Amino acid sequence: MNNELLTGDLIRLTAEDPQIYAETFSRWGRDSEYTRLLDNDPARMPSITKTKEWFEKFSEKEQVNETFFLVRSLEGNTLIGFVGLFGIEWNHGDAWVGIGIGDRQYWGKGYGTDAMRVILRYAFTELNLHRITLGVFEYNSRAIRSYEKAGFIIEGRFRQQLHREGRHWDEIMMGILREEWMENEK
Amino acid sequence: MKNDLLTGALVRLAAFDPQTMAEALSRWGRDSEYWRLLASDPARLHSTKATREWLEKELDKEPPLFYMFSIRTLDDDRLVGEIGLDGVEWSHGESFVGISLGERQDWGKGYGTDAMRVILRYAFTELNLARVSLDVFEYNPRAIRSYVKTGFKVEGRARQFLNRDGRRWDLIFMGILQDEWLNQEL
Repeated sequence: MNNELLTGDLIRLTAEDPQIYAETFSRWGRDSEYTRLLDNDPARMPSITKTKEWFEKFSEKEQVNETFFLVRSLEGNTLIGFVGLFGIEWNHGDAWVGIGIGDRQYWGKGYGTDAMRVILRYAFTELNLHRITLGVFEYNSRAIRSYEKAGFIIEGRFRQQLHREGRHWDEIMMGILREEWMENEK
Repeated sequence: MKNDLLTGALVRLAAFDPQTMAEALSRWGRDSEYWRLLASDPARLHSTKATREWLEKELDKEPPLFYMFSIRTLDDDRLVGEIGLDGVEWSHGESFVGISLGERQDWGKGYGTDAMRVILRYAFTELNLARVSLDVFEYNPRAIRSYVKTGFKVEGRARQFLNRDGRRWDLIFMGILQDEWLNQEL
């Protein structure tokens, strides 16, 4: 039995004080490359106060249908990103996963893949979910490789879902089943 | 130029009055088959009052994220369902569509297909969206046939997304592009 549930090889999942959360997230949110890889909202300049208010409200809610962690590197204990499960449907045993590594120094070095492995273990062995789903943008090939490494399979593509840089891009839908994850972990 | 934008061959899209729709939706929702074809959350019973309060809050949001209509028959002006675009992403020109027909006697008669044709015309020629998406449950072949008839293409499937009646079912992703719609209509 592994009780170090929230620790991986390179990172651990943590909770943070709203002030630290707000300062870090609004700093990352000002990097338009980060936000364009993360979501489809138009890039904006988030304020620390607004971000903090949102997070305080979010933290007070009883989180029945979502679980949210921040990610710290094991070496240096640096706050580098977040990962969370959203839209958990308990009756079907599925959820969506979202992840962002905000600090560019930690891109392409296995931190995201490690954080994804930890949250999948949490989803499949602590929450006992049956399946995890994600959507990723066609132009984010680094993320797609990372998700494949963590065991996700491409299940479809919303053609031309995004419009950026004067052209359309697909959103790629990926999923992993618990039985596939258990087979990978053997 | 066609100005009769909200009228189809069998139905028209009419106003979404919160009181009328709350009464209809809470009545329709008592049919668990209706609910299971429409939604993935557990079938439950909702009062007219709770439904109206929820609708009023959703419809009040500014800017409107929902373009909601009721569906009425052309021959006797009967309320048979609801249809709406939700989650319009203006920067990318895309939206999801949702539809339901409340009374079993009105299923399989072409009302849904006709209403979908009308809202696609609205989406592609009034809102000028580039794409419309939907998802549908594997066990709803009548809906899938209707969506294929209106021009949607299957773009993927989230395997084993649902657990109902003791087995798992896929969630099917479908989409239609403005180009495709224009080519088939003109």
